[in-house]
Amino acid sequence: MAETHSLQDMRQQAAVAAKVFIQRDYSNGTMCQFQTKFPSELETKIDKQQFEETIRTLNNLYAEAEKLGSQSFIEGCLACLTAYTVFLCMETHYEKVLKKIAKYIQEQNDKIYAPRGLLLTDPIERGLRVIEITIYEDRSFSR
Amino acid sequence: MPSFSGGVVGGGVGGPASAPPRPFRPSRYVPVSAAITFLVGSTTLFFCFTCPWLSEYISGVIPIYIAVIFLFTLANFCMATFMDPGVFPRAEEDEDKEDDFRAPLYKTVEIRSIQVRMKWCSTCRFYRPPRCSHCSVCDNCVEDFDHHCPWVNNCIGRRNYRYFFLFLLSLTTHIMDVFGFGLVYVLHHRQQLDTPHAAVTMAVMCVAGLFFVPVAGLTGFHIVLVARGRTTNEQVTGKFRGGVNPFTKGCWRNISHVLCSPLAPRYMGRWWNRQTVEVQPPFLRPSLTEAQLEAKVLDNGIQNDRHSSRSKSSLDQMESQSADIEPPPPPKPDFRYPGLPRADTEASSLLSEAPPTPSMYKYRPAYSSPGRNHTGVTHPNKMTRGESLDSPSPSILQSSRQPSYRSEPSSLDGATVVGRGVGVRRGGGDRGEGPGGPGGMAGVVSGGVSGYSLAGRSYTSYPSSLVLSTGGSRSSSLRSAQTVHNPLATLQSEGTTDTSYKSLANQTPRNGSLSYDSLLTPSESPEFESAAHELSPQKPHVPFLSTAGGGRPGVAPPGGPLQGYTSPFLSAQIAQQREGQLLQGSTTFSSPHRAYLRAVSPPPSSSPGAPEARHLLHHNQDLTSRIPRNPSSSSSSPGARSLDPPVSPPPRGLSLTKSPVHIGETGSQHKPRPAGAGAVLGGGGVGGGQQAPQSTSRPALANHTTSKPVGGVKKVTGVGGTTYEISV
Repeated sequence: MAETHSLQDMRQQAAVAAKVFIQRDYSNGTMCQFQTKFPSELETKIDKQQFEETIRTLNNLYAEAEKLGSQSFIEGCLACLTAYTVFLCMETHYEKVLKKIAKYIQEQNDKIYAPRGLLLTDPIERGLRVIEITIYEDRSFSR
Repeated sequence: MPSFSGGVVGGGVGGPASAPPRPFRPSRYVPVSAAITFLVGSTTLFFCFTCPWLSEYISGVIPIYIAVIFLFTLANFCMATFMDPGVFPRAEEDEDKEDDFRAPLYKTVEIRSIQVRMKWCSTCRFYRPPRCSHCSVCDNCVEDFDHHCPWVNNCIGRRNYRYFFLFLLSLTTHIMDVFGFGLVYVLHHRQQLDTPHAAVTMAVMCVAGLFFVPVAGLTGFHIVLVARGRTTNEQVTGKFRGGVNPFTKGCWRNISHVLCSPLAPRYMGRWWNRQTVEVQPPFLRPSLTEAQLEAKVLDNGIQNDRHSSRSKSSLDQMESQSADIEPPPPPKPDFRYPGLPRADTEASSLLSEAPPTPSMYKYRPAYSSPGRNHTGVTHPNKMTRGESLDSPSPSILQSSRQPSYRSEPSSLDGATVVGRGVGVRRGGGDRGEGPGGPGGMAGVVSGGVSGYSLAGRSYTSYPSSLVLSTGGSRSSSLRSAQTVHNPLATLQSEGTTDTSYKSLANQTPRNGSLSYDSLLTPSESPEFESAAHELSPQKPHVPFLSTAGGGRPGVAPPGGPLQGYTSPFLSAQIAQQREGQLLQGSTTFSSPHRAYLRAVSPPPSSSPGAPEARHLLHHNQDLTSRIPRNPSSSSSSPGARSLDPPVSPPPRGLSLTKSPVHIGETGSQHKPRPAGAGAVLGGGGVGGGQQAPQSTSRPALANHTTSKPVGGVKKVTGVGGTTYEISV
């Protein structure tokens, strides 16, 4: 359902011209971090600083999600005590941050990327492996 | 034997790009069924036959304790069995940039300075992240793959490893408890061993004792693994046998990571909330394009043809975009803006008329598909250009039209001034040069456009644009690197810069330059001035930035002498230089610089005092000094050479793309800017990097200065391809 709906949306939108994939940055281990290197395909589309800011914020959010803090510890203990039934009613810390990330990406898309013909895809849809940036075809300059 | 639904037990179904349905294989469920049977059955028997006596004669706590441990074991068992271990969804087709056959099997990443190989998974269509492995039983790539456990009929991966580990611990404890309390019972009933209770207890003890050995062994094994921060897969395959494990964080941290880390999210079966963002053209463009535009101004040769297509499209874009996104600009910028449309239309008209048209179409698709095609197409341009000046025209046009255009000049200080009106293109070029990657392309476009616009205007306009672009390109490389980072700052500084430039323009006598008198609006004069300033950068970006705020006023007074440089002689020379440069297709600053140098060389003698003159001189020296330092680079830019052999094209990196040798030299000189800053856009990257060398070279070059020959006949090629010789 969601697929067809999005297809309908897409039909009204500009055509997809290309896709850029921001890969994971594994220099610090398997922590979820994405490369902040500015891809060449986006040079004419968006400010480098803007892009890096987005990626850095995402990296920080993921770091916060994976942090071994008191909240995650308490969550674990509670889960153990309740034989993990607490997962049926409570949202894990990571999921909460993922929602925050989804909201942030949506906001970035609305404010910054969509006006420039770009669209960020939440990396969770790709298994947190890549950030997919869709570049839409710009037909505005056709005379 | 209960038979579980295969998919559910497998633990990874649903969501986009899910694995194809697996065939139902009953044999897979034998171990897990057996495990469940033994566990639940034995414990139930224990509770029924042994616990009543234990609670009565030993303690009532014992059954509760055993029940708790048993529940814990069962819960962990269920979590290990039914939880998604961290299955990666199949990669979508778009991610496959290369054909299977061409993609390398391994990709190496460095994790904590240890090389780790990522293997291409042909089933899942991506390079497996570190510690990920493909499970043949489940036919899925699993994150932090440990092993496939037949007893739970599930892969053990990142998400359920903790539960599996706790299951092992709790099962070992449970087995020990059952065996222990059973032993107590049997020891107390030595004479009644033929009773069913005793018999059952002994049977349970046997089962427990039987399973204790492997389970305890496995538990101990995993305790060691957890302490070492390894997975079973890594241990068994001996990945870190001889080397260092890059994933370990120390024993305590490893343990806490396993036990206390937040539960990782599920990748499969998520209800994706499709983003309902509407993406409709027209689209905004970044302010970098201003620099590109400016860079384009300089390029007046063959490259212009290529750029013209870009500039045309960029013009269109800018026109449409500016209408959409631009709020009414403040009065000052407005003043300049009138010049922009002229320039734009000129450029566009030029583009439409001339020979560039074919190339324009050629590049259109490249431009419209900003992906690889675009870069691919632009690359050759850049290569030939060798300069960021040669930025695709669209970017130039865009920059001139867009608000970013305004911010551009400010960021570039001198470049900003140039950016106005004619200088706009330069601004684009500047920007293009500065930031590594983006700069290169932008510069190319801007160069082309600017070239066209200039050509369209008049010959006399050339010098201004040339000078502007020259200065712009140089300073742009200096500044663009900086300005890129602060578009907002540029906007603010733009205000001040504009003011200063405006005041500067007002102060300087207009009669200095033919072209300016005739063509330049007041907004343009400052451009020229700024160009001059730019051309003689005293230091890398820093001084320019400082001048943006307050330096300008200081520079203003020298405007007079600077104006003197904009003599007709200078203009003509510059124009000639430009054309010659264009002809030869040298995409380096060298031509404009040389033209400027040449033009400036005589003036210094005539107007000695002005600090600007000194700047110019220094600039010239800088450029000229570069010549001997980079003889190869000089030779590598034939265009530049022919025009002015002594004045080698400044290895601003603009010529980088053009000549590999030149690039190498430049690159070595400009350490601050690693090549990575702008791969192809070497122009941009090098331009940025050149800032430092500029400063260093400048003092070194002090000797050279105006020793460059000024006389001679120069061959200049016009836009239409006409060649004419000019004696200078």
